[in-house]
Amino acid sequence: MIRTMRRLALWASVVVLALKPGDASAAKQLLVVTTTQDLGAIATEIAGDRARVETLSKGYQDPHFVDAKPSLLVKLRKADLFVEVGRDLEVGWIPGLLQSARNPRIQSGGPGFVDASTGIAILEQGAKVGREEGDVHPLGNPHHWLDPKNGLVIAANIRDGLARVAPADKAYFDTRYADFERRLRERMAGWKKDAESMGLTGLKVVTYHRSWPYFADAFGLQVVNYVEPRPGVPPAPRHIQELTEQMKSEKIPLLIVEPYFDPKLPARVAQNSGAALVILPPSVGATPEAKDYFSLFDAQLAAIRKALAGRRTP
Amino acid sequence: MDAAQLLLWPLLACIAIAGIHAYLGFHVVQRGVIFVDLALAQVAALGATLGFLLGHDLHSPAAAWFSIGSVVVGAALLALLKAEKRRIPQEAFIGIVYAVAAAGAILIVDRTPEGAEHIKFMFVGNLLAASAAEVGWLAVLYAAIGALHVAWRKPFFAISHGETEGMSRAAVRFWDFLFYLTFGLVVTQSVAVAGVLLVFSYLIVPSVIAMLLADGARARLAIGWITGVVVSVAGMLASYHFDLPTGAAVVTTFGVALAAVLAYRGVVAR
Repeated sequence: MIRTMRRLALWASVVVLALKPGDASAAKQLLVVTTTQDLGAIATEIAGDRARVETLSKGYQDPHFVDAKPSLLVKLRKADLFVEVGRDLEVGWIPGLLQSARNPRIQSGGPGFVDASTGIAILEQGAKVGREEGDVHPLGNPHHWLDPKNGLVIAANIRDGLARVAPADKAYFDTRYADFERRLRERMAGWKKDAESMGLTGLKVVTYHRSWPYFADAFGLQVVNYVEPRPGVPPAPRHIQELTEQMKSEKIPLLIVEPYFDPKLPARVAQNSGAALVILPPSVGATPEAKDYFSLFDAQLAAIRKALAGRRTP
Repeated sequence: MDAAQLLLWPLLACIAIAGIHAYLGFHVVQRGVIFVDLALAQVAALGATLGFLLGHDLHSPAAAWFSIGSVVVGAALLALLKAEKRRIPQEAFIGIVYAVAAAGAILIVDRTPEGAEHIKFMFVGNLLAASAAEVGWLAVLYAAIGALHVAWRKPFFAISHGETEGMSRAAVRFWDFLFYLTFGLVVTQSVAVAGVLLVFSYLIVPSVIAMLLADGARARLAIGWITGVVVSVAGMLASYHFDLPTGAAVVTTFGVALAAVLAYRGVVAR
């Protein structure tokens, strides 16, 4: 039986090899693999022409759940540098894949492993569970890339990782980082002005999930409640009723929803409470407008501006 | 050697799963309890969720004991409920066990701070990430349970074929309990590696194909095993070649295989 199994596996691998398209690996370029397109966008800024950047998921996918395809393993196997969001965001699929890829360079603790959340001031950390707290993860909220100032930390983490795996190019990565930092700081000032001009500072909002605390921090929004406090658990009717009442009485103008949730329920809450529903891209690649790390924030602020304007002139 | 290394352990996991499930599926289809695997997997998840609520991580040994304990209870329940079979089809009870266990898990999760994501992981499975250790564990467990089934084949097959004249009601219940218990242990382990969809397909499709093509237990078992192995290899190759999610690719290949057999039967029957 075991021999038959071995033989079958061998046979399978022979056929697989025969079917495999030829390796088109060009010159000695680094391969950087990131879990999300946000990290990929930042990695591209820092790595320039010294690396090819591949991402394992698309911005329109929920990064908690990604269906493993063989190509993901192939990428991980060849990777020189691996970048994850961290804080258990990818805990459902990455640990097993990393193990299966058996690439010692990018195992946790290896030179080519980068946890993008290192050094970021993580929100909602520690399992303090109160009445208002729904889903509180012990490792903190993982959606840290949604504050542009954290983009700088992520970029620095990637820069350090690149310098570890390609020390000869350290100066190049330093220059690219400095350029990225300058451009991002410039844009950050612009976004801040934009947000203020829309009256976002101190504005109370409701979000579908706990994906937006960093975004809220960055632009002065105040998240006061959630449509679905616990991921995957349909909200109780009383919660929806209380939420609608609260939004009415506090005149909350904005309800923010991630594109991968069914907008039917939040749309009804928004309609009943008089708030504007806005579907915000939480990641690069979630909508066509969010092409890179810069246009992500452009697209988010534009969507909010449009939603608020539509509400003021019904 | 990249692709071979990549797919070796997932493929061996599939072949191990095919080995025991094609056999168990034979009993399950005979008994007309098609969805019993979903019900028992859901009961195991309910147990793990309960452990989670009491502060045990889903992958800790304590959580495993909660799952096993709940499978014992679920197996006892299914064995007892069979007594009503004359009045109410057993599938109805199985459906109810599934729905109530699933809803119960949601109610429990509502009391935990971290939500349902962790429960979902139990059903998704990550076939591509199957490791040597996991495949080894599956092989040992399946071999042990397979040996028990060989030892107890007489009562198991008699009940599956509905030949229970010589047995007391208590004896039937006892053997049914053992059957569902061993079955539940197998299914919960397979689901953790391969996911619900894939395990269901490995259980049902090989037996159905075997029933279409042959009479007699031996021939059907042989056809079931061959089907399981061939479909595993073909599905993996398709997954690699077209870069498809692996589990879904294998399930779809099962569907294609069944369609091919039906077409063949249609042609031959004319």
